[in-house]
Amino acid sequence: MIYLLSATIMMGTPLLFGALAEVIAERTGMMVTAIEGIFLMGAWAGFVGGYLSGSLTVGFLAAMLAGLLVAGLYGWICIYLKQHQVVTGVAINLLVVGLCSFLYRVIFGVPITPLTINPLATIPIPLLSEIPLIGQILFNQNILTYIIYVLAPLSYFMLYKTSIGLTIRSAGENPEAVDVAGINVLRVRFLTVLLAGVMGGVAGAFYSIGFLGMFTTNIIGGRGWIAFAICFLGNWNPKGAVIGTLAFGFAEAIAIYMQSIGNSAFFPNELFIALPYIMTIVLTISRKSFSVPAKLGVPYVKEN
Amino acid sequence: MQAKLRDLLITNILAIVLGLVASGLMLLFLGKNPLSAYSVLITSVVRDGYTFADIFVKATPLMFTALAFAFTYKANLYNIGAQGQFYIGAVIAAAGSLLLQNILPGWLVLIITLLLTIVGGGLWGAFIGFVKARYNSNEFLVSMMSTYVALAIMNYLLRTFLIEGKAEYPQTDALAASVWLPRIIPGTRLHIGFVLAVLACVGVWVLLYKTTLGYRIRAVGYNAGAAEMSGINAKKLYILAFFISGALAGVAGFTEVNGVQHMLVQGFNPDLGAAGIGIAILANGNPIGIIFAAILFGALKVGGTIMGQMSGIPSSIIELMQGFVMVFVILSYFVRTWLENNREKRKLQKAVAK
Repeated sequence: MIYLLSATIMMGTPLLFGALAEVIAERTGMMVTAIEGIFLMGAWAGFVGGYLSGSLTVGFLAAMLAGLLVAGLYGWICIYLKQHQVVTGVAINLLVVGLCSFLYRVIFGVPITPLTINPLATIPIPLLSEIPLIGQILFNQNILTYIIYVLAPLSYFMLYKTSIGLTIRSAGENPEAVDVAGINVLRVRFLTVLLAGVMGGVAGAFYSIGFLGMFTTNIIGGRGWIAFAICFLGNWNPKGAVIGTLAFGFAEAIAIYMQSIGNSAFFPNELFIALPYIMTIVLTISRKSFSVPAKLGVPYVKEN
Repeated sequence: MQAKLRDLLITNILAIVLGLVASGLMLLFLGKNPLSAYSVLITSVVRDGYTFADIFVKATPLMFTALAFAFTYKANLYNIGAQGQFYIGAVIAAAGSLLLQNILPGWLVLIITLLLTIVGGGLWGAFIGFVKARYNSNEFLVSMMSTYVALAIMNYLLRTFLIEGKAEYPQTDALAASVWLPRIIPGTRLHIGFVLAVLACVGVWVLLYKTTLGYRIRAVGYNAGAAEMSGINAKKLYILAFFISGALAGVAGFTEVNGVQHMLVQGFNPDLGAAGIGIAILANGNPIGIIFAAILFGALKVGGTIMGQMSGIPSSIIELMQGFVMVFVILSYFVRTWLENNREKRKLQKAVAK
């Protein structure tokens, strides 16, 4: 049980990175539908950077840069060229799959055994990690987990208690008003998408160098979409994102645990693998009231 | 109108060329000459009838998944779960064929299997429309997630009930030759499913533009509120549109299993759904345009496979080409709007000058 809860926190980490990234960007009216591609590119760049330099820090920096580039392309097409967000996202995701597997081949050729590196180590926090139960679950994690659980309340504070947050939220609710106040709506949206790219890149790299220590093109397998879904289900709010993340992290922890103990006759592995996705569908159905940002998915065209 | 069509053709062709150039440039990273790679590709595709026919074999399922996206797109709904509906169709096609092939004559099995995939894929799709209509769920999200559920179902069945007699790999036994879709050109893999796909494109065009149902679907897509005011039941249409969409994607499973693979293999054709969306966008959602756009993507697939067989070029070049073409096609939408606006402006200026 301790193992499961500790794994919940760990597997939730990248999802929370992605979900918070989505929350901030979607509050300005931008669905980041390229999130799956951003995750994958981050996973790829993180592995390549980490493997070639031998330093995980370099890996994560490379992942941030890669996420930034993918998000930049997405933001440019959707915000400045005003193209459709869903369609653009699908196209970029497909392109990223091609890029990652092609460039992996360019750099590493066809290795006989899969290339691996040592993933992030856990850092037990002195004293706190020695608390029975809670210590093992909460304070014996890797550095990214600590970072994101600091970032989550910070992003809540930023969104609701600062003028930057007000601008961000207004860009998604009433962009005309933001424009009248002399703030460039497109720039606000673009910057939040870039921020989402950086955070999504880290999230992707978590899978390759934070946890598995290797890269394959199906390493993300829909986790970007799960982060996207958590943002919806968490009602575009960092608090909701944290709750959603814990639920999905738990589902994923169960799936990994079940796979590790082998098949059981009654509950096939595939059921647990599909669990997060089924959960999303069930939760979308059962959630009645959403406070969708009014201009979500709508490009902003300034009137002359 | 004429100017619009000209813009569409020119910008799309430009987008395709730029997409191929961009992927060609990537070949430089491998130290390959893109020009010679492409010329080998073109000559080998044209030289050999089998390979040439394969373009249309590859285009067949793509037409169905592209139609699946385009159909709901007209109602301003996003079905990005065609991949999952295709998997459901493929599972049903394989299970139905294996179950019935020794009991009934081949042609009857084919018809029954086709109908079963239509119903199965359709219901899997209609579920998305249902939760959209009943609970106001986000259809984009639900359709995305339903793909992963369908994949899990397929993997589960392939590991248990449907696994081959030897029980070695996660795949079914081969289908008996009596339930293979008949070939239309001997000596190639081109099967009657291609004709079915073209007919489906024409049929969807008629349905969308020549029937009341199609008019209603487009009306809901254009302005759901106004359509509702004029007495169109939008909710019913959501379910119906998603049923038809899912059924179309499901039939892709039938043509692939009974026409090409003659068995069900784990994880086959993983990018049909995404490529279908690219094709629908390239064709601007027009069902007739989809025929040509799908053939183009089929050519990219066949071309990419040939490149993969030539030394040292990985088969991921296919995804690269598809991805680049899609991104450039989206950019071409921007260029078209820009051209259109300029034209309007000039017209306006002329009118004012008079």
